[in-house]
Amino acid sequence: MSVDVLHEPSVIEGRPTFHEINEHITKPTEVRPDRKYMIALAITSSLLALGATCMIITHWYGIGMWGNNNPVGWAFDIVNFVFWIGIGHAGTLISAILFLFRQKWRTGIARFAEGMTIFAVMTAGIFPLMHVGRPWLDGWLFPYPNQNKLWVNFTSPLLWDVFAVSTYFTVSAIFWYMGLVPDFASMRDRATVKFKKVIYSIFSLGWRHSNRHWQHYEMMYLILAGFATPLVLSVHTIVSFDFAVSILPGWHTTIFPPYFVAGAVFSGFAMVQNVLIFVRKIFNFEHIITLDTLEKMNKIMLATGMMVGYAYGMEFFIAWYSGSPMEMFVFVNRAFGNYAWAYWIMVSCNVIFPQFFWSRKIRRTIPLMFIIGVFVNVGMWFERFVIIVSSLSRDFLPSSWAYYTPTFYDIGILLGSFGLFFTLVLLFIKTLPVVSIAEVKAVIHGSQPTHKGGNH
Amino acid sequence: MSQQENNIVYTQKNLPSKLLTIGVVILIVGLVLAGASYLIDPVRASFNSLISMMFGLSVGLGILFIIGLEHLTGAVWSVPFRRVAEYLGGILYIVPILAIPVFLNMHGVFSWSDPAVIAKDHVLQGKVPYLNTGFFYIRFALAFIVLWFFFTMFKRNSIKMDSNPSESYVKSSKILSAVMMPFFAIFTTIMAVDWLMSVVPRWFSTIFGVYYFAGSFLAGLGALTLVVIMLNKRGYLAKGLGGDNYYSLGAFMFAITNFWSYIAFSQYMLIWYANLPEETFWFIPRLHTSWVWMTAGLPLIKFIIPYIFILSQPSKKDPKRLTIAAIMIMFGHYYDLFWLVMPAYHKEGFFFSWNELAFPILLIGATITYFAIVTKNKNLIPVNDPKLPQGINFHL
Repeated sequence: MSVDVLHEPSVIEGRPTFHEINEHITKPTEVRPDRKYMIALAITSSLLALGATCMIITHWYGIGMWGNNNPVGWAFDIVNFVFWIGIGHAGTLISAILFLFRQKWRTGIARFAEGMTIFAVMTAGIFPLMHVGRPWLDGWLFPYPNQNKLWVNFTSPLLWDVFAVSTYFTVSAIFWYMGLVPDFASMRDRATVKFKKVIYSIFSLGWRHSNRHWQHYEMMYLILAGFATPLVLSVHTIVSFDFAVSILPGWHTTIFPPYFVAGAVFSGFAMVQNVLIFVRKIFNFEHIITLDTLEKMNKIMLATGMMVGYAYGMEFFIAWYSGSPMEMFVFVNRAFGNYAWAYWIMVSCNVIFPQFFWSRKIRRTIPLMFIIGVFVNVGMWFERFVIIVSSLSRDFLPSSWAYYTPTFYDIGILLGSFGLFFTLVLLFIKTLPVVSIAEVKAVIHGSQPTHKGGNH
Repeated sequence: MSQQENNIVYTQKNLPSKLLTIGVVILIVGLVLAGASYLIDPVRASFNSLISMMFGLSVGLGILFIIGLEHLTGAVWSVPFRRVAEYLGGILYIVPILAIPVFLNMHGVFSWSDPAVIAKDHVLQGKVPYLNTGFFYIRFALAFIVLWFFFTMFKRNSIKMDSNPSESYVKSSKILSAVMMPFFAIFTTIMAVDWLMSVVPRWFSTIFGVYYFAGSFLAGLGALTLVVIMLNKRGYLAKGLGGDNYYSLGAFMFAITNFWSYIAFSQYMLIWYANLPEETFWFIPRLHTSWVWMTAGLPLIKFIIPYIFILSQPSKKDPKRLTIAAIMIMFGHYYDLFWLVMPAYHKEGFFFSWNELAFPILLIGATITYFAIVTKNKNLIPVNDPKLPQGINFHL
């Protein structure tokens, strides 16, 4: 198959007019939800209700409802936390880092991925709040002068997490909202119902699409992208510190920070790809979220998957090379011990299956890429499970070794987290433009300002 | 874009002949100094030679990675610089020579190669399957064969395009770049573990390969930026280069400076925090002797100063400031390698004399000489690369 090396596939297929773009992107927010949407929402909100019930029961009776035991003090709660924080990373990578790299193909998917970031961080945030056991005391996580002279432990990475995640959430939300402002204005101008018009007017902050507005907007966007980039890297880095600063074999290893970040981007892209496959199909966004875009996402998954594989290999090698019997034991135990099944799920889903993306055909076949994306998410969830649970269940004192089995409540809350995430995604689809109207207009073929006869 | 007009203004010019003279003079001075240094203290000279080799390898690896990245991502901004990279990356052919003094003094440099040391240390006994001289030589040879292969193939494809502008070369380089990446990661790590980490054979750190990679990327960028600016200023490259092409080089230097700092911080912070004696002992001479001053200078020289210096947008476009930044970054990387290796030779504290300058001078002389010879009567830009016009007209 011959591919012209100079031919950069257009981000948007065809040459829709600006009006068509407006019509197309705002359509899901302007028509009444159909049956399919309602069924989807019913499923996700049922899951959410299940999760909420399990959470309330946990809240009432305490975290003894979970399968956590001694020595496995961290289990599903922290696994889910790290998993969901990781899912969030793709959004910022797409919206900020790819923006700094001037990757135009991000345009079609940036808004959606950013939205998913915010929902994922919200979902993730629930877990540490429950994990502390007495959620009504969570306010103490924030350091403030108080009569009890109680201070948080500033030397603990668990506290750094509080700062990192809350800062990350704030900046992501601002970044997302900022990008939405011009679209809110478009929605305002289109709104026919008074109620909608008022709401969109408020959120559009008086945006008039004037030249000056755009100048400020562009500058602000660049600055926020610059801020968000180190932030997104710092969040998963600090999550990795939660483990790596300890002295537990299998947790304490110096490669954790970049390895966690690569893994987060890996799983985040898999999730965004999975959800977008549905969105583009249901709302006929195939020309905006193109197959080329999906292929590029798959390439990034291949690259980050191999980074994760490199980290697995390096950890194993150094566990042996270090000559530390504890390190060696933990890694042999991971691969052949009581949680070997989880380990091999992790390796096959994260390292082996993504290798299929070497094939261009598979990268461009929607059902196959969807399946691999699901595998990646499963694998990345198990990666955290393997790191956390397998290391803890076989710690330094063999007399207290124990096997962790999740209870109904553990699984219920895990399902509930998916319910919360997808419910938020569904609500987002119906209320806000899931693709940036303004940005898409700028990348349609032929819409760029040109001089000298359109050479650039 | 299909209707690309080919407005490339380029005439092939030979580099001034005095460049070769300068290179040869520096090379001879370096050889004399290195020889004298070796006669005075072969082990010390071998350590210095090792550092210079790993520095040269860094430049080569960095440049190879930049070339690979361009092909892999289909970048256009770096196309006009690629030929310079393809000649400069030839440093990969030179650097193994600097391993010779080390090979002659294996026991002095790598204590694990000494059976007497191994016999007394049960931890090192466990490492013998990896850390033994035979396997060490094999890995060394394999690493260079693989790196040479990929580098030579990229270069060959690119030069062939000068006479035969066929897109098949672009495609084959693209496939090659994807295939290269896993090998690149493995062999960069192996070289870092073998030649830097195993100097202190008991010490280990899983991030070390990434650490060396980050530094190598920086060194490669620094070298490429320096040479490109020097050549472009004197009109050896295509007309109209600069601006956003320079900006991209600067932005990359800035990003990778941050990346290196992130990796270095992660390594140090995690070892410091966990405070396990089997890891912290590596930092003890670096923190409790006069090496501490060098340790304190490292974040300053390799992070803070370049960070502030390249942060602003104008400084990423200004050739003068970029030149200074490139020199700073390369110096910083040498400083880093010196700091990584030398405390193993001399735990008692910092030392420095002309001996430490001999091998860097030798490397610089050899590189200039090599560059002057291979570029004779050659194009300094990939004249018929289909992406070249876009690369020259590159605007953000």
